[in-house]
Amino acid sequence: MIKLYDYVLSANCYKIRLLLSMLDVDYDSVLVDFYPGREHQTEQFRRDVNPLGHIPVIDDDGFVMRDAHAILIYLAARYDSTGQWYPVSDPRQLGETAQWLTFADGTTNTASAARLHVNMGYDFDIDAARAGAHELFRVADEHLWFRERQGESWLAPGDHPTIADLAVFPDVAMAEEGGVEMLDYPALARWIERFKQVPGFIVMPGVFPYGVS
Amino acid sequence: MPTARIDQIAPAVLNRWHPVAPLEELTPGSDRLTTLLGQHITIQVDDAGAVAVSTVSSPADAAARQLPTISRYCYLWVCLGVPDVPLFEIPEVAEPGRRVLHAGTIGVHVSAPRAVENFLDMAHFPYVHTAILGEEPHSEVAEYQVHVDPDTNDLWATDCVFWQPMAATTSTTGQLTDYLYRVPHPYCVILYKTSPIDQRNDVIALFCQPVAEDRIQANMFLCLLDDENTIGMIRDFQLTIFGQDKPILENQHPKRLPLDPRAETPIRADKIAVSYRRWLRDLGVNYAVIPAA
Amino acid sequence: MSATRTNPSANVDVAHALQRWHPIATQYDLEPRSLFRTKLLGHELVVWRADDGFVNVWENRCLHRGVRLSIGTNDGAELICRYHAWRYSNRTAGCTYIPAHPADSPARTITNKTFPVTNRYGLVWSSQDPQGQVPELSVLDGDTLGLRNLPVNAPVGLVLKHLATHTFLPSDVLAPGLDVVAELAAVEMSAEVSTYSATLRARLAGNESSAVFFVQPVDANRAVIRPVLGEAPFNTVAVLRHHAAVLADLVRDIERAAADIESRPALPSALEVPLELPTVAVAVGRSAPLRVSVRRKWAAAAGITAFELVSHAPDPLPTFQPGAHIDVHLPGGMVRQYSITNGPGETDCYRIAVKRDPASRGGSVALHDSVHQGDELQISEPRNSFPLRRNVSHTVLIAGGIGATPLIAMAKALHTNGLGFDLHCFVSQADQLAFRDQLAEFGDQLHEHVGLSPQETGEQLSVLLAEPSANKQVYACGPPPMLDAVRAVSSDQGWPADAVHFEYFKNTTELEQGSSFVLELARSGLTLDVPSGATVLEVLRENDVPIVSSCEQGACGTCAATVLEGDLLHQDVYLNPTERAAGHTILTCVSRATSNRLVLDL
Repeated sequence: MIKLYDYVLSANCYKIRLLLSMLDVDYDSVLVDFYPGREHQTEQFRRDVNPLGHIPVIDDDGFVMRDAHAILIYLAARYDSTGQWYPVSDPRQLGETAQWLTFADGTTNTASAARLHVNMGYDFDIDAARAGAHELFRVADEHLWFRERQGESWLAPGDHPTIADLAVFPDVAMAEEGGVEMLDYPALARWIERFKQVPGFIVMPGVFPYGVS
Repeated sequence: MPTARIDQIAPAVLNRWHPVAPLEELTPGSDRLTTLLGQHITIQVDDAGAVAVSTVSSPADAAARQLPTISRYCYLWVCLGVPDVPLFEIPEVAEPGRRVLHAGTIGVHVSAPRAVENFLDMAHFPYVHTAILGEEPHSEVAEYQVHVDPDTNDLWATDCVFWQPMAATTSTTGQLTDYLYRVPHPYCVILYKTSPIDQRNDVIALFCQPVAEDRIQANMFLCLLDDENTIGMIRDFQLTIFGQDKPILENQHPKRLPLDPRAETPIRADKIAVSYRRWLRDLGVNYAVIPAA
Repeated sequence: MSATRTNPSANVDVAHALQRWHPIATQYDLEPRSLFRTKLLGHELVVWRADDGFVNVWENRCLHRGVRLSIGTNDGAELICRYHAWRYSNRTAGCTYIPAHPADSPARTITNKTFPVTNRYGLVWSSQDPQGQVPELSVLDGDTLGLRNLPVNAPVGLVLKHLATHTFLPSDVLAPGLDVVAELAAVEMSAEVSTYSATLRARLAGNESSAVFFVQPVDANRAVIRPVLGEAPFNTVAVLRHHAAVLADLVRDIERAAADIESRPALPSALEVPLELPTVAVAVGRSAPLRVSVRRKWAAAAGITAFELVSHAPDPLPTFQPGAHIDVHLPGGMVRQYSITNGPGETDCYRIAVKRDPASRGGSVALHDSVHQGDELQISEPRNSFPLRRNVSHTVLIAGGIGATPLIAMAKALHTNGLGFDLHCFVSQADQLAFRDQLAEFGDQLHEHVGLSPQETGEQLSVLLAEPSANKQVYACGPPPMLDAVRAVSSDQGWPADAVHFEYFKNTTELEQGSSFVLELARSGLTLDVPSGATVLEVLRENDVPIVSSCEQGACGTCAATVLEGDLLHQDVYLNPTERAAGHTILTCVSRATSNRLVLDL
């Protein structure tokens, strides 16, 4: 049974919970008192779980991994028999998926940082974080608008979402918590609602379900 | 939004104790900045652990002044005026067998009274806290009672009942839960709810630090009958609930609570909210609210 | 309840702008089952298309506690608020259901603010207070293509100034490998700029394309550029990409210029300034009859005629809930009640079914014989004394003959809401089942019981009422003997009385508590009777006495009246103990007198 070092309000942990649900893979959550307890920064945690002092971390029967996006790659490669979430068989799809995973690193440093600043008082330059988020969202909105015009729905080409959509989704869905207004990004908003309808989708506090609760 | 000046804030708000930091974060040698009622303040802890709070000097208020403080219920409380009303009592914290803890502090872009009113509301349980505090089709809010305690002036809602799939971390099944709500302070609210494992009540409170008229630090205080669950699990439950409320609160407009009864549309289930708005008006609260016409 | 929101520091420009039509969305933004959020002149709006194609534009704020409606759900028929799941109808924006009070019909005053809407050039247009028409541009008379819309952080005036010198290439010039920069330098542009749009024509090497760049004023410092190309090019994607690229460059230039000039303080969102109080409509007396015309009349079954009634006024027909009925004023002065069979969201007409009954007082015969397609009728607003509760998992609907009509509306609502139900229709002959085509969508949840004798009916009822449980309820409508049978069987089977609801088709309303008393109005000099079961508010309305109301549940205080004499039974939740004890105020929607006489200062 996979063990997931988890925290309910973490966008990065949510990415893992999402993929595990969509792949229908069982796991146990080890609830880390990330805030206010800052358990992930204790000596014990660094020694026993992750020397870099962050979550999510998974322990798959002794195989331990850190880094949300790396974990997504591993879980998709290991447990997705359809090969759709991490499309290794199609170089272009794989390339685009990787490109948008890096984009998600960008949203972590902007939209997610803004959210952590507002929610939990993290010391980030809030104006720079918000401006950075808007720059990224303009790019993503244009990209998705053109995908729609070509009858497609996801960040990477193809008719199935990839871990790229999964990696970008949480920060976009919760951007307003950080004071990043989402009025200007209708194509992104439609992509959010489409993603919520993917079988196995689950919410987290801060994300509303598709349709009535 | 432009925020009221200190000299415009009514005594009902200015002369109250307000929470400004969780005690566990005030480590020796630390120095932090926060904002209360639009006023920047510093909280300094010396190496011996003594806490001193003072205003940050500004063009309007040239000299920094020291502020009175008290430490209570896991938080540091500060008064910007003259503290003529003692901080409310929660006798349960002294009871044996209780876990008293700070569940977390979350910044929310909304006024304190909106957050208090949401905490007083049961009708949203099946829709915002689905499968935890409520579930369809059990959506009806049965008649409950509201009164103001003549001695303390605390506002109370009693005989509240709601069917809950998972009332607390200690729940193993759904149950009809009895609720008591108490508002002892314009920006603080206390809930007493049936514990799944004991005859006494769990005590859960929201103490809002009014940063600005439309911004708060929401402090979640617990005084529970639960010696099984880890602190991580207890906090997980409270942060889940609050995390689900946050986007609702931040999508409410206007951000300040309108006190005119014709500004919004209450129904019978909103009896406590109607009373809370009138109670704020009767107290003369003029900060973080839109006064009645 | 209509609400006027204005910015207190509005200048003439803003007032004028509020009277124009503005584009606020594209057809792309009206995905089925979606809610689109936009902002016009500082006011947030929610735009959504119902399954019947109607496009709703509402203020983006639930009037309950101010939550954005755009974070809710569009289920094709209604908008469901995310906070407390209040349901608002397509077209009217009236509230049809409040889950916290499942047995109550929401007051008609619980209606969100709507704005007029029209579609043109692939764009959705709206206005707060439209004077005049949506702009007509001959350039866009033929085929058009909606180009990528771009938001820009700059005032409208600055945007138009830059649009005047914007350049793009004619569609036919675009080809892979083209040196776009060089070609843009050579293109010949002409521009016609008006207050909120710029019409541009590009000419190069004998090719020509025109586009209109509409500009939506979001607030004082923001706009959305919504361009429409006046042709349908063959190379659609290439054209879309070209325009998106050059427009993005223009937006960068505009925003750079905007940062340089001193920015005007942003127009405060109407949601942030103190709200003007909603202007509560003063309802004088009983609502005047509505004028409708018969859009369609047809045989819905043997001996049963159906009518579709549509509104005469530009306003939509008033909100209804499942179980509601209307009074129909018939030729010859008769008034008859008929249930509305429409489902949620089917709000462009009222659909009723009338059984021809020669033995009746003549109402049904008049409708069947004397009222034809195209004729006008007068009707009342819908009234609901038979509201559908939805806080159970399963509903058993039992219909006797034409009594099916309110239950059809209920079945449709339960079906749309995803709640369990079974609809049992008892008819003498199979060809008497009305609206068979519509009932087909219920599949095996529809049960027909044809030609049963009273005894067989009783046996059948025993079967379908066999297993009462806390999560089930029964609604029955039909002729009195049938309802008596349902009452007897359900009681025998152990159903609690409050789980079984009846509508007697001869329109007997259930009586509520309270004794009758005399109501004297000191100022108008009227003396009225308030019978047991009627409220003071209802009696005032019926007698054309002006009185305002809002929640009609005793919660908001709007309907308060001053008491001069009389002992009161307060049934509201608004007055505090001191006010109650003083006895000077009564909330007329729920409270009563315990004395024989009540004198009000009205």
